[in-house]
Amino acid sequence: MDVYVILLHQGLSVTKNNNSKALIEARDLCVDIKDATILKNLNFKVAAGEIYALLGGNGAGKSTTLKTFLGFNKPVSGNAVIDGQEVTSALDSVRSKTAYLPESATLYPHLTARENVSYFLSLADIKKTDAEIDTAFEKVALQANARERQLQTYSKGMRQKTAIALALLREAPIFFLDEPTSGLDPVAIDEFNQLVSDLAANGATILMVTHDVYGACQVADRIGLLRDGELVGEYEAPEGGRIDTEQVHIAFAQRQTA
Amino acid sequence: MSVGMTTNAVFSVAKDEWRYWVRSKIAVSVLIIGLLLTISSVIVTLANMHELSHQRSSMQNNAEETFVDQPDRHPHRMVHYGHYAFRVPSPLSILDPGVDAYTGNSIFLEGHRQNSAMFADQKQGTGLTSLGSLSPAFVVQVLAPLLLILIAYSSMSREKESQTLSFILSQGTSIYALILGKGLALLSVVGLILVPLAIAGMYAVTQGESGIVVVGFLLAYFFYLLVWALIVLLFSSLFSKNSESFTALAFVWILLCIAMPRIASTTAATVSPSSGKLETDFAVLAELRTLGDGHNANDPAFAKLKASLLEKYNVDKVEDLPVNFRGMVASASEEELTHVLNRFAEQSMQDELAQTQISRYFGWLSPMVAIRSLSMISAGSSIETHHRFLREAEELRYSFVQSLNKVHVEQLSYIDDINRSKGEEAWKKARVSADNWQMIQDFTFETDAAETRLNRSIPSFLQLALWLGILAFGIRLAGRQSL
Repeated sequence: MDVYVILLHQGLSVTKNNNSKALIEARDLCVDIKDATILKNLNFKVAAGEIYALLGGNGAGKSTTLKTFLGFNKPVSGNAVIDGQEVTSALDSVRSKTAYLPESATLYPHLTARENVSYFLSLADIKKTDAEIDTAFEKVALQANARERQLQTYSKGMRQKTAIALALLREAPIFFLDEPTSGLDPVAIDEFNQLVSDLAANGATILMVTHDVYGACQVADRIGLLRDGELVGEYEAPEGGRIDTEQVHIAFAQRQTA
Repeated sequence: MSVGMTTNAVFSVAKDEWRYWVRSKIAVSVLIIGLLLTISSVIVTLANMHELSHQRSSMQNNAEETFVDQPDRHPHRMVHYGHYAFRVPSPLSILDPGVDAYTGNSIFLEGHRQNSAMFADQKQGTGLTSLGSLSPAFVVQVLAPLLLILIAYSSMSREKESQTLSFILSQGTSIYALILGKGLALLSVVGLILVPLAIAGMYAVTQGESGIVVVGFLLAYFFYLLVWALIVLLFSSLFSKNSESFTALAFVWILLCIAMPRIASTTAATVSPSSGKLETDFAVLAELRTLGDGHNANDPAFAKLKASLLEKYNVDKVEDLPVNFRGMVASASEEELTHVLNRFAEQSMQDELAQTQISRYFGWLSPMVAIRSLSMISAGSSIETHHRFLREAEELRYSFVQSLNKVHVEQLSYIDDINRSKGEEAWKKARVSADNWQMIQDFTFETDAAETRLNRSIPSFLQLALWLGILAFGIRLAGRQSL
């Protein structure tokens, strides 16, 4: 079952426009970490099937935003909402719908790709056959001869492919990506961006946080510019085109020095 | 998460933990070495205690046979010829020899004296053996916690250090399912450690040990190792770096297994000081000197006895008494000095017991102290059992000495007795038949009753239960903190 079909099964819209149902939504989100206010009335929406990139420098609040949607941070006010449910009050339900790719895809180095995927699926009580797992590996272009190797021999790109294969198998309609292309070589970045585009094309909703202006413009439908925990600008790709990298780059640089 | 889902997740985590141990060669090596050590200590101690038990039973029989095989003699010579009492180890001593190695296991019984127990294995060793033998109790009490630490110190901390924890949690897996799974894997290690003990326990049952005591003994060790499994999980959950978790656990092990038992015994000796052996011996001697000399019938201390006997039998001199006055003096003297000796012995035992009790209170602070006490009590190798051996041996001593004194009183005339040094014939006349030596009682030292041992071990069980409760609560808090 591909992602598109899964989304339909769950009754979720896959239309890429801002008027469709928002699957990810920050509503006046305020988060404090150790008495410091990190997010200040953050507001944005990510529609079903959309790729939204939160762009910002170090300390802008990108990872905090992601961790709040993952349920690791509790908002002091406002809400992090996923598919209409507040994260803090429906954590189990929310987590069953989301897939998270940390900056460094943290799977187990002592396990093979297949064992990693099987293990994480068993934790979620999801049963998949070897054939279904192979199909997922094929979708993320993880070579057959690498699947039975322990991950300690993997490159970061291969680990991310494994993590995405896991997400596909979990049939999660919503993806959270944390600095996904950080540390990847240009070829791996292209491969990864293509993979993310394919996921979105198949209906997945993706929120990624990054400080890579070029990468964000390459893949995102919309970009939110984050500074000191506040959204200071949003950019949208034109119909059938990409966001203007230069425009975002200048805005990013200006906001950073403002 | 549903219960079924959580259960599946717990088993998956436990299975993966084993896979991690097997693939990380250090963990599996430590596990194999630990198990081999446990098994070898069980086999060696079992063989050793079996041999000791056989040897002591045999020596007890030999001592009794040698006594009754003595020829016709003067009864008081037999009082000084003496006898032996051997403490046969309890069946569960194969797992915990307890105080056996330190207190001595045989006593030479003779008239007018209470000798100390002799032939303590550790006393016969050099300082190099002061750590004690590698008994199963020592291995499980001291080394098994270290084994659990080495295997699992990183069970939770590595999930944090490598950031797999947040990844796992983001998949919807509960932190408690993860901790429970790791705990289940550690529990299986605990089970493996207990297998050799359980087999030895079953052997002890075939040797006459109570089944319920063996079950209690194994349950106590299960609780103890469970306490350590929880300590390892707690510290591994508290720290986000493997090195920090290992350092903290190593410190806790040193504190609870090495330092605390010594602090306990030092505190006990300070809070409840007892007189040294030399000091006690001098005090006993001083008091005994105030009593009459039982070998001297003319000692003024026995004038009252003499007067009462003369009056009772209505005669003018001791030679006319129908009983041997020297035997009467020996009997009265033995009774008096035994009273004194018992008073000092009882005081000494009470002092030891008071110190032991203080030391046992430290079980609230160290699970190792709790299991050490519980293990010795259950195995019948505690100080209480040793004291009972001393009391029973003393009863035997007093009984056989007074029986000989009775023979002295009734079967040997006073005249023959006082003339015994006047030539060969007189010396022969001052002897009684060897048939009298049959009065020696068989001495068989039995282990304390199961009920007695179980009752005595309740406080230590409560100490371990408290540890379990506190640690379970601590893990719950640590789990919440990890969210």
